[in-house]
Amino acid sequence: MFGKVKDAMADAAETLRQAFSGLKVVEVEAEPFQLRSQTSQALAAAGRAGLEPPAAACREMCPLREAVEGRSLEAFEARLQAESGWARWGAEAEVIRMMPLEGGSAARMAVPPLPRQARVLGRLEPPVRPASRRWLEPVARPNLRQLSPGLGAVGTRFGMQAMLSLAVPIRGEDIQSLPKGLWMRYSLQLVRGTGENVRNLEVLGLFRVPRKGVADLRHDPARGRLLVRLEPSALKAPRAAFILARRKDDGGLVSCFVEDP
Amino acid sequence: MADPIKLAYFMAVKEGASYLGGLLVTDTSGIPTDFRYTEPITPTRLQSILYGKSLEPHLKEEVIQKTLLKELKAPPDLFILSATELAGGWSGDAKYPVLAVQKSQEAPLGKVGEAFRAGPRELLLQLADGAAPLRVIFAASVDAMAQEQAVVKLLEAGYHMDLTEPLERVTAALQSLVVKEA
Repeated sequence: MFGKVKDAMADAAETLRQAFSGLKVVEVEAEPFQLRSQTSQALAAAGRAGLEPPAAACREMCPLREAVEGRSLEAFEARLQAESGWARWGAEAEVIRMMPLEGGSAARMAVPPLPRQARVLGRLEPPVRPASRRWLEPVARPNLRQLSPGLGAVGTRFGMQAMLSLAVPIRGEDIQSLPKGLWMRYSLQLVRGTGENVRNLEVLGLFRVPRKGVADLRHDPARGRLLVRLEPSALKAPRAAFILARRKDDGGLVSCFVEDP
Repeated sequence: MADPIKLAYFMAVKEGASYLGGLLVTDTSGIPTDFRYTEPITPTRLQSILYGKSLEPHLKEEVIQKTLLKELKAPPDLFILSATELAGGWSGDAKYPVLAVQKSQEAPLGKVGEAFRAGPRELLLQLADGAAPLRVIFAASVDAMAQEQAVVKLLEAGYHMDLTEPLERVTAALQSLVVKEA
């Protein structure tokens, strides 16, 4: 709103400025002051008879005029002069009258639109900027490659063959914790199976081993266990109680499977 | 008759720049019933950089372990791994209790079958007369009830077998397989 009022006032000011710009200015040139001199008459001298007057050349002085050389000396004649120059100066002063302003013919003038944005003059020019030049070649856009960091699926293998190549330790059962009747039964089966005298046998342990498929068997006396190497057929074979004993006379090992009641 | 207890022993090893893992399933005598292992996985240099320190746990738990467990026909009763692996932040699976077993230097407890709870996830278990008790550490996902059930199975299996030994067997088997493939 304020902007519109401001624009309207600016338009009106511009209109007035243009309207009065066409007025005729009468330039009155003042006359230069001109000194008017009055020639004074030469003094006339009245001669008196008797003596020849001495001839004298008299020069008439004309103020601001060329001097006229007088041939003869004239007698000075006094005359009363009245100087009214001041009066004349005052009377002859010209009064310059200004031409009154005349109303011009009204005409509709097209008011040029004001610029929307004022032009700023007198602005300091910015210092000249040095022109930059690109001296590096632009880096070419690299090709995009996709590489999944996923570790993907991993294949598995059946490794029972490798596992069966290793000895399986089988811990012996605690004979002392067995019921006495059961142990007597096992002892009898041991004697029958080995044909040894029970007094000549030292029982090393009772182990539950596969009934078949045992490829190798070793005793680990330090830890009281059996180290058995199994064949694939041992995996599904039933387990049976296995007694390992040592002969006291020669230290030989004897063993047999015993039946559970 | 109850189903025989199946113990799954998991071990992952790093041989050179490759990782491979094996899963051995045994009965309560320690006799293997199944053994599977993965092909060696060799992460690329880029994968090593992108995964950083999480590469090894990710490979062992997410890639190797899950792949091997998928191959099993039935889930194991106990999933046993080394204490080192468990300490590395093994999350485990709710389907079966994950635990680590470790020989201890503690004095024997009173009698076989006795348990001493050393912490919310750790207990000592007496498996043999006069022997040092076995240290059992459960994964964070195993709650108290599951721990109690697992202890019963450990006692049953520990009567017949050395519960820590199969892990050594898995490691030996993996190393022999690596040598064979090299």
